[in-house]
Amino acid sequence: MDFSWSPEQIALKKQVVDFAQRELNADVRQRDREGSFSPDLWRKCGAFGVLGWFMPKAYGGSGYDLLTTTLALEALGYGCRDNGLTFALNAQMWSTQPALLEHATEAQKQKYLPPLIRGEQIGAYAMTEPGSGSDAYSAKTTATKTESGYLLNGQKMLITFGPIADFAIIFASTDPTKGKWGLSVFIVEKGMPGFQQLPVQEKMGLRTVPIGQFVFENCFVPEENRIGAEGAGGSIFSSSQEYERACILASQIGAMEHQLETAIKYARERQQFGQPIGKFQAVSHRITEMKLRLELARLITYRAAWAKANGSSTMMDSALANLYLGDAFVESSMDAIKVHGGRGYLTEYEIERDLRDAVAGPVYGGTSDIQRNIIARFLGL
Amino acid sequence: MDIKEQIKQFIIVELAGQPGLALGNDDDLLLSGLVDSLGVVRLIGFLEEQTGVNIPPGEITIENFGTVNAMAAYLGAKVVSG
Repeated sequence: MDFSWSPEQIALKKQVVDFAQRELNADVRQRDREGSFSPDLWRKCGAFGVLGWFMPKAYGGSGYDLLTTTLALEALGYGCRDNGLTFALNAQMWSTQPALLEHATEAQKQKYLPPLIRGEQIGAYAMTEPGSGSDAYSAKTTATKTESGYLLNGQKMLITFGPIADFAIIFASTDPTKGKWGLSVFIVEKGMPGFQQLPVQEKMGLRTVPIGQFVFENCFVPEENRIGAEGAGGSIFSSSQEYERACILASQIGAMEHQLETAIKYARERQQFGQPIGKFQAVSHRITEMKLRLELARLITYRAAWAKANGSSTMMDSALANLYLGDAFVESSMDAIKVHGGRGYLTEYEIERDLRDAVAGPVYGGTSDIQRNIIARFLGL
Repeated sequence: MDIKEQIKQFIIVELAGQPGLALGNDDDLLLSGLVDSLGVVRLIGFLEEQTGVNIPPGEITIENFGTVNAMAAYLGAKVVSG
């Protein structure tokens, strides 16, 4: 493993930081307060190329390797103060797009990937249901075969972009007697009869990205909208999860670096008892822990990305990265508030928002408990 | 040891952790829960390492991996098609 960066990669990182700081930080507090998503910022990210970093040039992407993409996403998280936006970008990049790229037909790729990459359309990815979260494969949504396609019935919830997505990748059972092995994958487009996208659900953090529910009532989906073979849905989901778990939190590394720099600056400037608070070990050691978490988060993410890029199954590496980054951002966000004291608790200082956003990390893409289960199983326990 | 025996040994020892378990070539592995979803991931890694065959996720179905015989047939066809 060699994690040194080329001059081109370092230049890309700088370009991304500059872009994010210049274009993505307007009105973050207001959008967070209102819980509003900005289509304009989404399109700017598409035009800058963010959504295509890991996608082949044939579909309008840049064709970057996984490590370069991870570095660029880290830079995005450093420059962009809107964790909801970076989460949303990562969600589409590491769930919807890889599922299409790796498992869709060429015609499906040509139809759906270019507008996603340009930021002109938004794609959702729907597995979770009211009765199946951690036990994902017990999903109850069904897809009943008809002469020319399938009729979908059921519900999905906690879907990133659910209320506004132009289309969604849906996991539904074509044979409920087979559990995971009866799951199949379908593309459902906005406006298809029988497909309802319910309104935005309010949440604690990541408030600038909409999350919601789908309802399917005899929703007809044509045969050509199925991705992969009937019954391959469980394996497609497992495969996609490796990307999602390894990479979806990459931007949090950049956010943690920004958080660290902010805490250091404050600890050097803020005077109490006649000296900068950073001179007190209680404060300096807390910031040291933030630095340690940042560097470990970097290494564990780069390692997972490197392993995935080298073709092996990275189920355990991805679970390790997701588990560590999820918890690390929560802990460092709490430490940042403690360093800033009462100011850290005030919204106007933009410290507390990170904590509200960070709490999602140990919950989505598999809870931290599920990540521990996966790791334990791969250790033979 | 042929591939069927290797698969059975891996399942019995590594996944089930029951060295005395009797496992037939046509015994159901997936619907019975003997091999669960994480077990499948470990099994695929083992098969790719042992055979050098790349197994795309879209081909990991119950038809191809539901029994030892099904896996052996799938892998045999992959080797022939090269």
